[in-house]
Amino acid sequence: MRTKEPIEDYQVEQGLDGTTAEHAGFGRRKFISLCLGGVGALALSGFAAVVYPLFRYYLVPHSTQSSAATFQIPLNDLVPGEAKFFEFNGSAAVLLKKQDGSVVALSAVCPHLGCIVQWEQNKQDFLCPCHAGYFTADGAVISGPPPRPLAKLPFSVANNIVTVG
Amino acid sequence: MRGWTISLLLAVMMLSQVQADAAGVAVVNCISCHTVLSGRLSTPVKLWNSSIHAEHGITCNACHGGDPADSANAMSPARGFRGKPAAPAVPALCGGCHMGVLKHYNESAHGRALTVGGPTCITCHGSHGVVSASIELINRKNCSKCHSYTKARKIKNAMLKTEGMLKAIDKKIAVLKVQGVDTDKLEKRLFALRNRFHAMYHSLDVKLIVQESDHIQAELKKTSGIGGGGTGPLVGMLAVAWALLAALLFYLIKKNLD
Amino acid sequence: MMLHKKLYNWIDDRLGMHEIINEKRSGYLLPPNVNAWYSLGSVLLVIFALQVTTGLLLMLYYVPDVDKAFSSVAFIMNDIPLGRLVRLFHAVGSSLMIVVLVLHMLSILFMGSYKSPREMHWLTGFILLLMAMGISLTGYLLPWNQLSFWATTVATDGIGTIPVVGPYLVELLRGGKMVGFKTLGRFYTLHVGLLPAGITILIGVHLFLIQRTGVSTPPFGLEDTSNPWKEEKFKYEDHPGGIPFFPNFFLQDLISISLYLACFLALVFFAPNLFLPATANLPANPYVTPAHIKPEWYFLANYQTLKLFPSEIIGLIVQVLAIAFVALLPFIDRGAEKHPLKRPFFTITALGCILLWIGMTVWGYYS
Repeated sequence: MRTKEPIEDYQVEQGLDGTTAEHAGFGRRKFISLCLGGVGALALSGFAAVVYPLFRYYLVPHSTQSSAATFQIPLNDLVPGEAKFFEFNGSAAVLLKKQDGSVVALSAVCPHLGCIVQWEQNKQDFLCPCHAGYFTADGAVISGPPPRPLAKLPFSVANNIVTVG
Repeated sequence: MRGWTISLLLAVMMLSQVQADAAGVAVVNCISCHTVLSGRLSTPVKLWNSSIHAEHGITCNACHGGDPADSANAMSPARGFRGKPAAPAVPALCGGCHMGVLKHYNESAHGRALTVGGPTCITCHGSHGVVSASIELINRKNCSKCHSYTKARKIKNAMLKTEGMLKAIDKKIAVLKVQGVDTDKLEKRLFALRNRFHAMYHSLDVKLIVQESDHIQAELKKTSGIGGGGTGPLVGMLAVAWALLAALLFYLIKKNLD
Repeated sequence: MMLHKKLYNWIDDRLGMHEIINEKRSGYLLPPNVNAWYSLGSVLLVIFALQVTTGLLLMLYYVPDVDKAFSSVAFIMNDIPLGRLVRLFHAVGSSLMIVVLVLHMLSILFMGSYKSPREMHWLTGFILLLMAMGISLTGYLLPWNQLSFWATTVATDGIGTIPVVGPYLVELLRGGKMVGFKTLGRFYTLHVGLLPAGITILIGVHLFLIQRTGVSTPPFGLEDTSNPWKEEKFKYEDHPGGIPFFPNFFLQDLISISLYLACFLALVFFAPNLFLPATANLPANPYVTPAHIKPEWYFLANYQTLKLFPSEIIGLIVQVLAIAFVALLPFIDRGAEKHPLKRPFFTITALGCILLWIGMTVWGYYS
């Protein structure tokens, strides 16, 4: 078979370098490890060329998901004493116009285990239905397991429009 | 003979009803009856079939009124049937849907001449076999019906380049579409631009057309840059070379072991 | 270094890995005249693994709903980084899987490796081919484009010609009179659930059978090319003085796999639309049949045969008989000779059948 050519060429090169025929075995061994090194390099590059794109495939860019950076609502659409729940930054949030007319923007995620709090209109407080955590209208803990108050969200009121975020 | 005609009519009606149901389109009795009527009563349907209106599902009642679902009272004025509108009423009728065009038309020499026998929409676009606005409609035959072709040619020349760009992008979208590229946004943008451009035809104001054409051409240039979606040839070549190199290395190792 | 050796010893003490490796290295010997065709099974394993991987990745974003399927595939193709490649890998891979399966089968056919005691190897392999065609057919519908909708309509329609039960079978397959959301649901279940599970189990059985009987000896370069097994008791066919599986033949496997990958990647990057005609990129419309609708290339011969016979039921019977004949070939062909040149009748007939199949496929493509 003439297919052995590459190796023969290699051995000729070894010969030119001054190695004797006995060292041909050593040259062959060296050649195999050289090839194995090449295989290793190919495997590594192949791994890198597959894993990083797959990682990007798995995590869809946020820009393609419909999630606006801000939430806007006319001030008059908020009824005093009633809560307005909405999606903000990929999670639940709530806007509340208190009886005195002041506005509060809170995260609706209970800091205990991540359930979504409910607004109790008759008692004017927030209740987390999972483990009975109670919060005031400003988000401070009244009772129950929550370790800290509901997170406050930044908001501004301009031209009668409330902008959260 | 008469009974035979009626039963044929009924059969056709039922058949077209089945077809219409299958296609999920509202039943239009006007078409099923007028198709089998003779002479000038069926010509409008034939013409309509090849029109841009038929392509988009705009049927008889959109212009003529009446009730297409009720054969007996289809042409009753009580159901809003208005028959054939008088020539001066045509622009307002068409403009009911094509509002942008109506505005440009009313301001143009064509529109101002409406009451003294000037051209209406159907003079160029046809009545039943409606054709959509295109540069081909501006031709010596159409324009010479009333006046010389000189000014019309000027307008046509001003629009030619933009129209060519629109067509080129159309072709490009068709190619990209069958390659699996999402052309939805592109098509919507092109639709809006084309409408703006075609509405402008009707102003007959050469200066405005030239000026707006420049705007639209700039927009179109942005549009035509979009496409592809795949990787360049380099990545492909690298990938194939990677596999071939691996085969070569495995081959060399194997030959040295044997 | 020490830690890695310790970990190896810890595992080896419990699982005896060293023993398995030694066994594969010196204990598992292949015939001395083994050839490259014997590595196609490994190539097929890699293809199946690639199909499963890319299939799982597609499932992350694919929605099996008639209103959302097409747009979810468009979303994968256009908006997800590398999504286009993942989809093309899956689509091109499915066609190449059939190509390699057929090559694998033909090599077994001409080397007479299906002969006893390997009837069950052939049968399981043939069922695997049918299942691969089934998984391709069901996967074809999922993108819910014009081609998938109408190719499925045409493909399932043929079954309706069976007398008495035909129409019921079509309805059972489609879930209704027409291809619709119920068809999508059942095809999706078959494509991502039942068929992959079935194929995995059958691959296991196929490999188990090969391990039990040993690898067959190819008939080339030998004096005596007759079947060594003479309908006797169970005997493992060993090959003393043969080629060790590891590393020697394992390297041949790797060469074949690399060459396959080169062809595959070349198709994916430079001819991605070879198996995806223009109609594959238009959303399905149950009221508009596109012109020249045809099934996938590996069904074209069947499609053409069905059209050829004056009565569809005869065409169907001919096909069922042909399929049954190929499936039961090892039970029909009991001759001991394995070399293709020493059994000219078989070889000429087989070549004739292959030419007929290619001819029907080309005819089906151009008709």
